[in-house]
Amino acid sequence: MFDLIIRGGTVIDGTGKKRFRADVGISGGRIAEVGTITADAKQVIDASGRIVAPGFIDPHTHFDVQLLWDGQARPSLEHGITTVVPGNCSLSLAPLKAADRSRLVGMFQQIEEMPPAAFAGAFEWTWESFAGYRDALAKSLAVNVAPLVGHSVIRLWVMGDAAQQRAATADEIAAMQNLLRECLDAGAVGLSTSFVDVDEHLHPVPSRYATNEELDALSAVLGEYGRLLQVVPEFYATDITLARVDQLAELSLKYDITTTFSPLFDSRATPDNVPRVMARVEEQFARGARVWPQVQTRPIDISFSFEHPSLFFARFPTWYRVMRLPRAERIDALRNPATAEKLINETGADGGKAFLGGLTVRGGEGAPKELEGRTLGDIANERGASAARTLIDLSLEHDLKVPFLAANLGHEASDRIGPLLAHPNVHIGASDGGAHIQSFSTYGDTGYLLGHYVRDTHHLTLEAAIKKITSDTAAIWNLADRGTIAAGMAADVVVFDAERIDRGREHVVFDMPGDGMRYVRDSVGVDAVVVNGKLAHRQGEYTAERAGEICRLGSTR
Amino acid sequence: MTSSESAYIEAAEISGGHDGQAELVVTLRFADGGRTRVVLNTEAGMRLMRNCGVDHAAALAGHPWQKILEEEPCSI
Repeated sequence: MFDLIIRGGTVIDGTGKKRFRADVGISGGRIAEVGTITADAKQVIDASGRIVAPGFIDPHTHFDVQLLWDGQARPSLEHGITTVVPGNCSLSLAPLKAADRSRLVGMFQQIEEMPPAAFAGAFEWTWESFAGYRDALAKSLAVNVAPLVGHSVIRLWVMGDAAQQRAATADEIAAMQNLLRECLDAGAVGLSTSFVDVDEHLHPVPSRYATNEELDALSAVLGEYGRLLQVVPEFYATDITLARVDQLAELSLKYDITTTFSPLFDSRATPDNVPRVMARVEEQFARGARVWPQVQTRPIDISFSFEHPSLFFARFPTWYRVMRLPRAERIDALRNPATAEKLINETGADGGKAFLGGLTVRGGEGAPKELEGRTLGDIANERGASAARTLIDLSLEHDLKVPFLAANLGHEASDRIGPLLAHPNVHIGASDGGAHIQSFSTYGDTGYLLGHYVRDTHHLTLEAAIKKITSDTAAIWNLADRGTIAAGMAADVVVFDAERIDRGREHVVFDMPGDGMRYVRDSVGVDAVVVNGKLAHRQGEYTAERAGEICRLGSTR
Repeated sequence: MTSSESAYIEAAEISGGHDGQAELVVTLRFADGGRTRVVLNTEAGMRLMRNCGVDHAAALAGHPWQKILEEEPCSI
């Protein structure tokens, strides 16, 4: 008698092997048998006509805070994500002295757009050590967690205010090494650092004050444990990114560690960025270094409103000048018929139809709910006005608070992104799940991969794509018993319809603590998600199961 | 004169950024013929435009890259 049998499905086991028909029997949270199973089970899922795959692993998230009140990491779980890696970009919630909490909250707000209410009353802040955070986290998880420890908080613990002022002394570096060892002993999957991020005062985060010697010393500790280094390089400048690839390669070779950096984007505005970076990555892999660039699957959308200035309108002088005016003057200018006429004319003879007509009205606080998801062109037609006129009118009617979405403004060229995602040295990730929550949805990237790049463009086979987001990811992150459908492995399984799987339309919800808003996407085509043998999501509904774990890591040196 | 001082802006265009905001992608040409691109976020992009005294991105062409170093904060 099994606990659960997933019967009659087509198994894609995560290794890249061709799909095969099999039942999957699960007992005690583990996959017990894969094949034709005649035995009974306490629970059966009929997977006829469906793909049965290992649960997907998301290696770049910022669910650190959300997991404390939402152990399901909604809505990632419903997309088939069964394991998440929080603590990226030098920021984690531990180790952290009580006196430094407000400082870290400011950084999370700035970098991840996590509202203050998320930290005030949504959970009890009981820990200072990494082990304490791990224990607090583990209480009600429905997904598995492989947490990174952040370089910035390690620095903050050891150096206090000086963490954002100067280089560390030799004694301080030694103290950071010992603290990192303590965190790795408590289950941290590696160390994250950033060369880019700033706090709420626009000051560099603590990790950016580290010398090469400090990063070298911390990497030496990672080498002792065989753990990973995650880095945010200066991705806005290709030449500096290349230098970081070389730096990571040297650390990888010197200490025999895996490194990963994110993000790596493609853009029509910087067409040589990805080819140059990938050429350097290939060179370093050929030397034996492990420097994995993380590439996201989804295109980049941008949003703007008249509430805050945006470079979106830096193409047009009058629009740009109006956007830069103080708020009251901005409203006056938009109301002024002569200025409005200039604005409209500047967008072209079609009144902005080509340039603005494809913009989508987004939901949000103060935005007209009845227009959410509709295009400006559609609304303009309905109103019998030009697109530019409609944009101005909608903004004025709603006190400038209407957010507009311009889709596919970067990382959108399938003929370039598809081969990149399929590249053997590319790590599919960089979703940023749980971050940027008030700007765009960071959920559904796996659905987009399997829907667009597998089903639509055929850049990857389903087997290859699933391998990328399961066993490849588990191997990179040293997750010992996850990422494949095989006897003895942790029973993380997703059942989905290969003909339908996708990401749903982006929409706004107000489900953050304090009724805070965020953008999300629902899953499409996912029938069931099993975490450690327990059914966590089924047919659009979350269950009460809380079988998630802090991930067990592979053997350390 | 350093190469940074002698670099000038060859072109600028708008692109989508990692954080969901529009960015300014600036192509720089150096005195030795070298060329590179730098991506500026909202704050930096608007500062550069202000420092160069321009009101649209295309008008940045021809301005010295050194303008990015002018320190006065930009209110955005």
